Amino acid sequence: MSAIFRRPGQPVAGRRRPMRSRRDIALPYAMVAPLLVFIGALALYPTVLTAYGAFVHNDALDPPNHFTGLGNFQSVFSNPQVRQSLENTGLYVVFGVVLSVGLGTFFALLLQRRFRGRGIVLALMVLPWALPGVVEGVIWSWILDPTFGVLNSTLKSAGVISQYQLWVGTHQVESIFFISLVQVWQITPLAAILVLAALQAIPHELYEAASVDGAKGWTLIRRVTLPLVRPALAIAVVEGLVMSLNIFDQVYVLNAGATTASSLMTETYELAFNNLNFGQGYALSLLATVTTIVLSLLAVRIIYRKVEF
Amino acid sequence: MKSRTWLGTGIAVTALGLGVCAASSASTVKAAPASASIKGQTINVDIAYPAPKVLLAQFTKETGVKVNWDYVQWDNLQTKIASAAEAHSYFADVADVDWSKVGEYYETKWFMPLNSYFPLAGVKSQYPQAASFIRNGELEGMPMDSSMLVTTVNEKDFKAAGIKSDPTTLAEYETDLKAISSKGIAKNPLDIPFAAAEGLSTYWYELTAAFGGQVLSATYQPEFTSPSSAGYKAMTWMINAYKSGLVPKAALDEQDYQAFETDEAHNLTASVFSDYSGDIGTIYNVASESKVVGDVKYIPTPGVNGVGSNLGNPDGIGIPAEAKHVAAAVAFIKWMEEPANQAAFAGADGSADVISTFPLPSNRGGLADLVKSNKVPGAATEASLLENHSRAIFPAGAPPWYSQFSNAVYTNIHSAASGSESVAAAISSIASTVKGLDG
Repeated sequence: MSAIFRRPGQPVAGRRRPMRSRRDIALPYAMVAPLLVFIGALALYPTVLTAYGAFVHNDALDPPNHFTGLGNFQSVFSNPQVRQSLENTGLYVVFGVVLSVGLGTFFALLLQRRFRGRGIVLALMVLPWALPGVVEGVIWSWILDPTFGVLNSTLKSAGVISQYQLWVGTHQVESIFFISLVQVWQITPLAAILVLAALQAIPHELYEAASVDGAKGWTLIRRVTLPLVRPALAIAVVEGLVMSLNIFDQVYVLNAGATTASSLMTETYELAFNNLNFGQGYALSLLATVTTIVLSLLAVRIIYRKVEF
Repeated sequence: MKSRTWLGTGIAVTALGLGVCAASSASTVKAAPASASIKGQTINVDIAYPAPKVLLAQFTKETGVKVNWDYVQWDNLQTKIASAAEAHSYFADVADVDWSKVGEYYETKWFMPLNSYFPLAGVKSQYPQAASFIRNGELEGMPMDSSMLVTTVNEKDFKAAGIKSDPTTLAEYETDLKAISSKGIAKNPLDIPFAAAEGLSTYWYELTAAFGGQVLSATYQPEFTSPSSAGYKAMTWMINAYKSGLVPKAALDEQDYQAFETDEAHNLTASVFSDYSGDIGTIYNVASESKVVGDVKYIPTPGVNGVGSNLGNPDGIGIPAEAKHVAAAVAFIKWMEEPANQAAFAGADGSADVISTFPLPSNRGGLADLVKSNKVPGAATEASLLENHSRAIFPAGAPPWYSQFSNAVYTNIHSAASGSESVAAAISSIASTVKGLDG
């Protein structure tokens, strides 16, 4: 058996579609219609309003509202706090995607083989995914607490540090790394499950054939496993990208209002709900949305390959 | 005069004054009689306090108005108010009006002026912190409590360090803290919440007042830019306290209540210069969560030349512009303001009616009832401080752009404490923010 790699949309030669009734054609659309209405009302409509609002001067403290073209975008880009949050968000994305996909793949490889208690491990692994970001932020604020935190006491007992450390709040990269870890803890389980599902679909014969050719260990992973799980990796990367680019809860709880580790979303919240400049808030939201879409499409384009066995 | 003698005199005079006010206050603010026009209505109330269920049931019985009291955490509540108001959507008939939002609401017209329901003359005479809710003669909300910034000390720690009387000046205060630290009683005795949040801003305002000044003038010009100004000195003092170890290093990440509950309540620190009124009853004397029950007390805030001011940071309640049941809302607010109810919220009647975290009654009648009940430790001291030393943070009221100003304050002070920028750079950044906002 061999794996066939095909780009999305590439036709398969020699196949002919069967005739379908009107009912068969309409049925799938009817079934997804409620979801489409839901998405349209709660996601698409607000997105359209946001896109419109981004080009309107809308400051509750400086009425009236009026069309301002790119004025909101110029204002946000000239705001040093926004620029800082953009830089920080870049770091959140790098840490978030690399760590969640890397760790997710690692755990998936570990869990690929059946062992006693594997089901329990899988269930426990998914728990962080089920918790709200705010709850995770609070839990980790206790773990990272510079006075009572478990991390400090464990590392000090192990002799790794000589005194309790302030993990968040002092240095930009360090603060962002630790806050990212909290989110990575949340999103890695989904990456692991996606990759694990893809791993389990790979026919065993492929590994046997590769072994016969002398491949083993890391070579097997690199030449057989990873190429065949590319679709899952693409989805995991997109998930990591979306979550990291839009990180808010963990930053809000662990970083409060400091610029040290602020994110694009906390800055958007600040502009809209504290500064009451809704136009600039819309502009930053739109920027985040467009960036998310562009980077996601890029990730899919680079990583995704259709796999058939 | 020693601080204890002064304080005792102040308390006695205040008690007498409040007693006179209590006698006259009963006729000033009363619950509206059950009116046919509001009977049967249901109002939504969004407040950052849990509901006093027993008293609320009485209100419904008296007026026929049912209250859906939605307890929303303060930050979330401000977001909710902003979202609903911007969308011109109804969300509640009565909602929180924080002192810091009064300027904002005056500009945005998100809340109805209450002048026609609560005559200004009466409000000013009965409410020590009325000024915080009046902007250009418009009453944006009624004070719901008399929260103010106060200094608390762990009396046991101070005595253990051999300190025989409460500090009355900043110099004495600093000396006492250093003594507590050097004797190993509390290695880092001063609690300052340096996380980039509102609690850091108000801490700076309180210290600025202690240094004999204010952060903004009556025309909202910065008064802290010169190194000899009170605000500059206050910030320098705070940063030096952190860097010298008077303040725990962990405080860099701690917001106000987090710091008080983690540090002061566990005796890791010995004093909070800018604490919140009511914290003794709601944090330090709560046996299940505190290790300093009975040890912490309020003292007159030490200033550079003697007793300093206690700046007010009260919460209020108002009627959103989109409210549906205005008459019922007014009746509810009047009921909330009744002195007996205000005293009950603060704990005068026992735990059934107390509102957890409620600091002090908003009006003089309520304060008198609370002091008379003798049920809340430190109430008499707080009432004295309120009457004799309390003032609004900004003489002209909070500016409309207060949120942005506060953001500049706490992010820059936090950065200065973390070492990312100097005090001079922080001051300069805050001042230029003010200039940009004030136009």
